[in-house]
Amino acid sequence: MNIERETLEMDVLLVGAGPANLSCALHLTNLVAQHNEKAKADGGRQLHELNIAVIEKAAEIGAHQLSGAVLDPISLRELLPDFEKDAPFEAPVGDEKVYFLTASGKIPAPILPPPLRNHGNYVISLNKFVRWLGDKCEAAGVNIFPEFPGWEMLYDNNAVIGVRTGDKGIDKNGKPKAVFEPGVDIVAKVTVLGEGVRGSLTKQLLKQLKLDAGKDPQVYSVGVKELWEMPDDRFPAGSIIHTMGWPLDSHTFGGSWVYGMKDRIINIGLAVGLDYRDPKIDPHHEFQKFKTHPLFAELLQGGKMIRYGAKAMPVGGWYTMPKPTHDGVMIIGDSAATLNGERLKGIHTAIKAGMLAAETILEALLADDYSDKILSRYETRLKESYVGKELYQTRNFHQAFDKGRNMGLMIAGISTLTGGRLPTRLPIKAGHEHMQHQQANGADRYADLKYDDKLTFAKLTDVYYSSTAHDEDQPCHLHVLDTNICIDRCTKEFGNPCQHFCPASVYEMVEDKESRKLHINFSNCVHCKTCDIMDPYQIINWVPPEGGGGPNYRNM
Amino acid sequence: MSEGILLFIEQRDGKLNRTSLETLVAVQKIAATTGDTTSAVVLGQGINEVATEIAAKKLAKVYTVEDDKLATYTPDAYVGALKQVIEKLNPRMVAFSHTYRVRDFAPRLTAALGKTFVTDCISFRQDGNDTVFTRQIFQGKINTDVRVQSAPPIFVSFQAGSYRADLAEVGDAPAAVEALAVDLSSVDVRTQTEAPFQEAKQAVDLTQAPLIVAIGRGIKEKDNIKIIEDLAAAMGAEIAASRPICDNEWLPMDRQIGSSGQTVAPKLYLAIGISGAIQHVVGMKNSQTIVAINKDPEAPIFDIADYGIVGDLFDIIPALTAEVKKAKGE
Amino acid sequence: MNIVVCLKQVPKKDSILRIAADQKWIDDRDISYEMSEADAYALEEALRQREKHGSGEVIVLALGPERVRQSIKEALAKGADRAIHLHDDIFNSATDAAGVARALAAALKDEKFDLVFTGLQSDDYGFAQVGLILAETLGLSSATIVMEVQPEGDSVRVKRELESGWFQWVKIPMPALLTIQSGINQLRYATLKGIMAAKKKELKEVKAADLGLTAQALQPAQVIEKAYLPIKSKQTEIIAGKPAEAAAKLVEKLKFDARVL
Ligand SMILES: Cc1cc2nc3c(=O)[nH]c(=O)nc-3n(C[C@H](O)[C@H](O)[C@H](O)COP(=O)(O)OP(=O)(O)OC[C@H]3O[C@@H](n4cnc5c(N)ncnc54)[C@H](O)[C@@H]3O)c2cc1C
Ligand SMILES: Cc1cc2nc3c(=O)[nH]c(=O)nc-3n(C[C@H](O)[C@H](O)[C@H](O)COP(=O)(O)OP(=O)(O)OC[C@H]3O[C@@H](n4cnc5c(N)ncnc54)[C@H](O)[C@@H]3O)c2cc1C
Repeated sequence: MNIERETLEMDVLLVGAGPANLSCALHLTNLVAQHNEKAKADGGRQLHELNIAVIEKAAEIGAHQLSGAVLDPISLRELLPDFEKDAPFEAPVGDEKVYFLTASGKIPAPILPPPLRNHGNYVISLNKFVRWLGDKCEAAGVNIFPEFPGWEMLYDNNAVIGVRTGDKGIDKNGKPKAVFEPGVDIVAKVTVLGEGVRGSLTKQLLKQLKLDAGKDPQVYSVGVKELWEMPDDRFPAGSIIHTMGWPLDSHTFGGSWVYGMKDRIINIGLAVGLDYRDPKIDPHHEFQKFKTHPLFAELLQGGKMIRYGAKAMPVGGWYTMPKPTHDGVMIIGDSAATLNGERLKGIHTAIKAGMLAAETILEALLADDYSDKILSRYETRLKESYVGKELYQTRNFHQAFDKGRNMGLMIAGISTLTGGRLPTRLPIKAGHEHMQHQQANGADRYADLKYDDKLTFAKLTDVYYSSTAHDEDQPCHLHVLDTNICIDRCTKEFGNPCQHFCPASVYEMVEDKESRKLHINFSNCVHCKTCDIMDPYQIINWVPPEGGGGPNYRNM
Repeated sequence: MSEGILLFIEQRDGKLNRTSLETLVAVQKIAATTGDTTSAVVLGQGINEVATEIAAKKLAKVYTVEDDKLATYTPDAYVGALKQVIEKLNPRMVAFSHTYRVRDFAPRLTAALGKTFVTDCISFRQDGNDTVFTRQIFQGKINTDVRVQSAPPIFVSFQAGSYRADLAEVGDAPAAVEALAVDLSSVDVRTQTEAPFQEAKQAVDLTQAPLIVAIGRGIKEKDNIKIIEDLAAAMGAEIAASRPICDNEWLPMDRQIGSSGQTVAPKLYLAIGISGAIQHVVGMKNSQTIVAINKDPEAPIFDIADYGIVGDLFDIIPALTAEVKKAKGE
Repeated sequence: MNIVVCLKQVPKKDSILRIAADQKWIDDRDISYEMSEADAYALEEALRQREKHGSGEVIVLALGPERVRQSIKEALAKGADRAIHLHDDIFNSATDAAGVARALAAALKDEKFDLVFTGLQSDDYGFAQVGLILAETLGLSSATIVMEVQPEGDSVRVKRELESGWFQWVKIPMPALLTIQSGINQLRYATLKGIMAAKKKELKEVKAADLGLTAQALQPAQVIEKAYLPIKSKQTEIIAGKPAEAAAKLVEKLKFDARVL
């Protein structure tokens, strides 16, 4: 298909409207304004008004954002010193508890472990937060384009010159429909990838430019969560509980959170490390099981589940961070592993990363040099900032869990006490490599899990509460590179774990008289990226569907 | 003082629209609690038969309004004529069926009279002197009780299928048929109409089908759909499906029921080999009668079914087809 | 050819709706909104008619709170020429079709247009009335549930959808109001360039006072007393027996109890 494409020229293009990129865009407009004011006063060179574009695959800002979240306001205070005036926060963190769970009991932590201490932080909804930040960006003149996924990196030799957005109006056989609208080549002096976890362009770029050479493979967790509307104020806004232990087995990293939000809403979720061993593990089911613990069954009694969602997060930290810049391009936020896996916090680091990127871009604009020579200053800035410090201190945290939970807790404990120092750097392998072949007569982990539609919900019922929708008449956006592996090797070796790790029932093995095949319900996809991460053969390639498709998260 | 309830009877080419009888039932029920007298009005030309048919029902009177300008339906002539009828009869309430034709003129009529119009109601409740109407919003997801706050007449329309036409009460003696004269000479009929037609090949509109037989993955294979077609043919029903069936292209997309397909509310929805996932159920839960056939007694579809048979569809469907044929005397 | 398109914004199709605490409406916190489906088709039809005709304006007219700007901008990005947004708290009083139509009519008093398009009904209230009340108030000819539009000189010939697969062509003089059926055309996508261009288009905010309207004048004549989830008080009757027996029993029930056969 030979398609004529339009070109749109921008100064700066940011892919993904998450906290990293929105902070970058906002900070950059502020810096340019400050610079110009100063230049005007000193008679220096002023910059022309910048054309900044943020493209986002969701139908509106925040619709694909899912987080905990407890926000450490350290960087937001730098970006917007008087944020407390109008930030749409739920509440300052109040009562805090940490438990280690057993099947029916709970052991409170004698003292709050330092990484889980949250005094001074805020309980927030990430999608509310980014919508607010997006409004500020638009008011500052930033162009935000929802429904436009970045589809392909544009290069000139190996320098990045922009991004092609996704085509719209392609039918399921790959043919253009009558309303076909080709993607546009957005060219920019600097392209910033802030796609969040396992970005699809980031994946292309890392591969093309080998920016992750010599780094540890990234490790991930997937968080599955629900919002519950309660009849009373039993869990006030700002209250938080974290747990470890049950129902996760000792080879599975993870833990839960319960945060009190405004208007009698409880936000409850479970993060499951995507480096577990048993291929039958199903994060959605683990979460359902988790809620049946007496502590939570009682807490949620009489409430109504109103929303569901899932999203992965990169928890590998320091040793997994790719080189974040190259000629014409920067990678920031979760896409470049700035999340602190020990504190399970990545919003404040994403904001700071965005701000540091903006400072670097300003220098590039002033020098009119967008090569890595200038852009690479970002990495130095980041590593020297408090973000670099906290990531360095926790550098061995997840690696420790590579050895299983009990051992891991011990190592992580030592590591916290010693500011991250361990005698040797721990070796690490990619999460999916931990998955072990299925046991011939392995027990059904979830035999006694029942869905009563009150406390526990079947996966498809939950997916309904993620308000996920895609135009059904489009090519499947989950590219399985070799489906023969699915019906043959994977069936034998792992029992098709895609059916289990996907929290949205996208993957299904269907059988009829003569054959067994993989069926992909792509329109259920909540864009969590777990399949791209956890597939044991690494043959699932997640690419963005037509712009606007996906979950519609609100208050998540 | 305005008094009584006036029912609008819809006819095309001298043929009664069945939904008018459904609304007659609503009107009779309201009158039974309020003691209102009930009358009906038919507009058109050559409408004696319709008037006689309606007059057999329990009604105080049937008015006929004939005029050249009413020979074929146009909004201007209907609004002009009914305005005069209402001014003459001064009813307390005027009731319509929420048909395409009513939707085409009645809002103009009520606006011309400066009155409010409660459309597409599914039921009513009498509260003292007030009739409180129930209408659905958000395409049936939510019900509302609506109260009118303006002076009579109250205008109301009822959704097709809300009342059962066969329950219309028959009068002891036929109601008197009275011709009402209207003067339409000053009515400017702006619409020029052409003859209605049907399109050769059209997409199915399942929302209009009174009987739907829906199949799910329990059917196993495309070739098995044959037994469902036989059943549907015997019943005179349309075939619909859950998403996996359409995903596999065993049936076209326009037959998919559910959140990413059609929303339907037929008189009968027969769900065969469908588990009852929420995404399917939102598209059919408002059906009048739901029957589920499934081999899994725990299938969620049974939670919303009126009747259920637990068993293998491949045994039950042929038997059911035979029984339907028998019942229809074939 | 100047065409006015009335746009309404409604909760997104896939929204999970909850009843508000006062039981009068849905809880509208944490809801995403979009153009009501039929209105989106009405807009598309207007753009296509204008393009076919080669000249004229598509004017978007929308009533509602601040959030409605998002849909207005989308319409401008898709190609509408300018927009009028009826926006202040007084308009919140207009909760029935007549109130809304009254406000829209007032806003159109000084506009020059050949056609006014509305959706056949909105996805939220579903009154199916606003268009016709507007037509009656402005003295326009009208046709509803329109599937095809062919302007012919001073008139417009339109294909109306009738029940059960029937259609009918009718011709009415312009200026005319048409209520557009979903599916009449295929919706275009907004383009990046269109979105950029929309920023420069006129978006006029109009207050009730500008139209000489007061909250009193927009008071509804019908009010929602209570909103609630449909109650299904169903008892499932499981029919037992061998296939033939069960089938016979079921047919009997359907014929005589449910009376649907
Ligand atoms: C379950 C869970 C709990 C968490 N809890 C906390 C917490 O309590 N505190 C905390 O600080 N952090 C928490 N985090 C981490 C935090 O949410 C992330 O670190 C943070 O959101 C990262 O910001 P970002 O801007 O890098 O990416 P994101 O917030 O992920 O934003 C990326 C955006 O880019 C868009 N996008 C992606 N690809 C494309 C493309 N190709 N084209 C166009 N758009 C694209 C996405 O749709 C998305 O909107 C949690 C994360 C998860 C998953
Ligand atoms: C975003 C989204 C949108 C969706 N939209 C839709 C939609 O619009 N419409 C829709 O239908 N689904 C939709 N789905 C899919 C939906 O969640 C279910 O997957 C689907 O409805 C299941 O179809 P089913 O009941 O036919 O299949 P299954 O769930 O597999 O059920 C098959 C049933 O057949 C029964 N059965 C098997 N063999 C026999 C036999 N021999 N005799 C009797 N019974 C038998 C089984 O017991 C089972 O109950 C959507 C999902 C998502 C996430």
